[in-house]
Amino acid sequence: MQKPSTLFTGIVGAFTLSVGTMVLIPHSQIASLQPQIQWDEGQVAPADVYPVERHLAGREVYVSEGCIYCHSQQVRDPQYGPDMERGWGPRRTVARDYIYEDVPLLGAMRIGPDLANFGWTAKVAQKDGSEKSVGMWRDEHEDDPKKPAARNEQWIYRHLYNPRTLFTDSKCPSYRYLFEQKEIGEKVSPNAVDHNAKFQIVPTIEAEKLAQYLLALDRSHELKEAPTVIKPKEAKK
Amino acid sequence: MNATTEITSGTQRDVTRRDIDAVERALIDQSARGPVLTFFTTAIFWLLVSVVLGYIASKNLHSPGFVLGPEWLYRLLRIDRVTTPFFAHLTYGRVWPAYTTALIYGWCSLAGMGVATWLIGRLTRVSIKAPAVLQFGALFWNAGVAVAVITILCGYNSGLEFFEMHRAARLCMFLGYLCIGIWGLILFRYRRQSAPYISVWYLAAAFFLFPWFFGTTDVLSSMALPGVMKNVVNAWYQNGLFNFWLGCIGLASAYYLIPKVINRPIYSYNLASIGFWSWIFFGGLTAMTRLSGGPVPAYLVTISVAASILMVIPVVTLGVNFVRTMKGHTGMMASSPTLRFTFVGTIFFLIAAGLSVLTALRSVDSYTHFTEWTHGQLHLVTMGFFSMVMFGAIYYITPRLVGCEWLSRTFIKLHFFGTAYGAGTIIGLFLFGGLATGFVLNEPTADKMGFYNVDGIANAYMPVKTYVGYVLFGVAQIIFALHFLLMRLRIGQPAGEPTLLETPGEGH
Repeated sequence: MQKPSTLFTGIVGAFTLSVGTMVLIPHSQIASLQPQIQWDEGQVAPADVYPVERHLAGREVYVSEGCIYCHSQQVRDPQYGPDMERGWGPRRTVARDYIYEDVPLLGAMRIGPDLANFGWTAKVAQKDGSEKSVGMWRDEHEDDPKKPAARNEQWIYRHLYNPRTLFTDSKCPSYRYLFEQKEIGEKVSPNAVDHNAKFQIVPTIEAEKLAQYLLALDRSHELKEAPTVIKPKEAKK
Repeated sequence: MNATTEITSGTQRDVTRRDIDAVERALIDQSARGPVLTFFTTAIFWLLVSVVLGYIASKNLHSPGFVLGPEWLYRLLRIDRVTTPFFAHLTYGRVWPAYTTALIYGWCSLAGMGVATWLIGRLTRVSIKAPAVLQFGALFWNAGVAVAVITILCGYNSGLEFFEMHRAARLCMFLGYLCIGIWGLILFRYRRQSAPYISVWYLAAAFFLFPWFFGTTDVLSSMALPGVMKNVVNAWYQNGLFNFWLGCIGLASAYYLIPKVINRPIYSYNLASIGFWSWIFFGGLTAMTRLSGGPVPAYLVTISVAASILMVIPVVTLGVNFVRTMKGHTGMMASSPTLRFTFVGTIFFLIAAGLSVLTALRSVDSYTHFTEWTHGQLHLVTMGFFSMVMFGAIYYITPRLVGCEWLSRTFIKLHFFGTAYGAGTIIGLFLFGGLATGFVLNEPTADKMGFYNVDGIANAYMPVKTYVGYVLFGVAQIIFALHFLLMRLRIGQPAGEPTLLETPGEGH
C-alpha cells in the first residue's frame, strides 16, 4: 500500500509541520518579549514586583514539593472562567509575566486555588489595614472563626504545618517535615506554629524560603496588553 | 486429468509453503524471545509499582497524610518512628508525578516496546540477530525509569509535566531507546515483505518520532528559553507522547491482532490509509489545547482547537474500520482473551479520542480545564486503551515465546473483569469529578466556594475511586503478574491448543 519512501517522507513532513507550527514560530514571537518599560518613571515594570533571583530558592521548594500538581499560576481572561471574580488577580496573565522564569509554573490542575498573585492578595489586605483579604478562597465564610487575619508569613506556616486547622476540608498535605522542634529561647518565635512550656515548632529554612517566594508572587502591575480589569477596591466587597 | 494433477500439486505446494512459514515464524519468535520476555517482565513489575503509587496518590486526596498498611503492626514492631515520617513524605505532589512516570515510562513504554519488537520481527519476517543489544536497551531504559521514580519521590522535579525525570534518567532512557529503536530500523531495512502492513506504518511513526520528541524536549528544556516557551514545548511533548508514542504502538498492535485472531483481512486499506495520514498530520498539531486560556499566543490554541476538531477524521475512519472488521465476529470475544482485551481497548481508544475532540471545544473546555477531567483523559489513554491492547498482545505473544499455553482461563477472566471494571471506575470517577467541580469552579458567586469538596462531593467519590477502582485494578494486575510468572516458569497448558475463555460450542 504505502511505499517506504512515501511513508518516511510523510512522517518527517508531519514532524516538521508539528515542530514548526507548535515550537519554532511561537519561539520567534515569545523570544522577542522584553520587560515593559514605564518611560515616565524610567523603571522596568516587572523588576520590582516580580520574584527574581532572591526568590529562586523558595521556588525550588515549590517545584520539589510538587505544588504545581494542585495549584496553577495563571489567571485567565473572563471568557474562559471567573478567575478574576474569585479574586485571583486584577488582570489576566500574559507571556510577558513569565519572561524571568526558567520553567513557568503554569500548572494544569486546580485542586487548590490559583497562586499567580498570592503576594498581591496578601499585600492589598495589609495595606488596607483591614482584616479581609481581597480574594475569597475556598470554604471561606465571612464569619468563620478559624479564618486567618491576613495572608502573611505566619498564615503560610500555619497552612503548611496543618492545612486542616484553617480549612476543614483542605486536600493539601501537611508539610510537617518542613518544620523542626526547637527549645524556646527568650520567648516564643512569632513564626512558631505550636509550642509548649519548653519547646516550639518553627519552620525550617526551606519553609521560610517557600513563604518568601509565595509572598513575592505578584503579577498585578499594569501591562499594555492586559489591562487591569478589577481594581483592588472593587474586588473587596 | 490435468486439472486433478494441478490441484494435487497445488495443494502439496501450499502445504509445504505453510510449513515453511510456520517454521520461519517459530524461528523469528525464537530470536525475539529473550528481549521480548525481558520487556514484558519488567513492564509488569512497573505496572505493579504504578498501581501502588496510584493508590497512594488517590488516597492522599481524600485522607492526606495517611499511613499505608497496618499502623498497629508498625507500632507493635516499633518501627512506627520510621514508617510515620516515611509516609508523611509521600505527599500527593511527589507521588502523583512518580505514579505517572512509572505508568507511562515503566509499564506502558516497556510493554509497548516489547510488543513492537515482536510485531516488527513478524511483519518484516526478519529474525533478530543480536538480541543482546535489545536486552541492553531494556536494561538502560529500566535503570532510567528507576532513577526517575526514586528521585521524584525524593523531591526532584524538573517542573515539566510528564517529563519530570532527572536529566541523568532521561539520558539513560534515551540510550536504552537507541539500542531498541535501531533494531526496528534494521529490521525494516532488511524486511522481506515488500509492502509494509498497516501496523508497520504506525510502528515506523512511533519509533521514528519518539526519539525526536523526547530528544528535542530534553535539549530545549535545558536551554535558556524565554518564559512560557518551556510550557509550550512541554505541551507539545505531551501531545507527541500520547498521540505518537502510546497511540501509534497501541493502534499497530490492534491492527495486527484483530484481523489475525478473527482470521479475516482488515475491512478497508483505503480507510486505514486515510486514518493513518490524518492521525499523523493533525495529531501533531493538537498540543496547545492543554494551554487554552493560558499566557500563550492565542493563535497557537486556535490552531490546536481546529486540528483537534479535524481529528474526527482519523477517529471515525479508525472506528469504522475496526467495527466493520469485527462485524459478525464479535462472538469470538467470548472465547479469545486476545480479542476481548484488544477490542475493548480499541473501544476505549474511540472514547478517549472522541472526548479529546469534544474537550477541545472552548465551551466544553471552560468546564473541564484545570479539573480531574484531564486525569480521566490521561487514564483513558494509558489504562483504558493502551493497557488493554497491551494485555491482549501479551496474551497472544507469550505462549508463542515460552512454548506452553496460559494455565488458567479463570485467571484470565478475573484479570479482564478486574481491569475493565477497575479502570472503568477510575476513569469514570475522574471524568465525573472533573465535571462536577468544573461547574462549581465556573460559579464564583456560589455561597460555598470550595471546589474540591463542594457539598462533600469530592469526599464522596474519591474514596470509591481508591477503594474500588484502584483495588480492583490492582488485584487484577497481581493475578496477571502471577499468571505471567507461571508462564515464565513454563507452568501452563501443553502447547498447541490456545487457552480460550470458553470452549467453542460450550455455553451460549
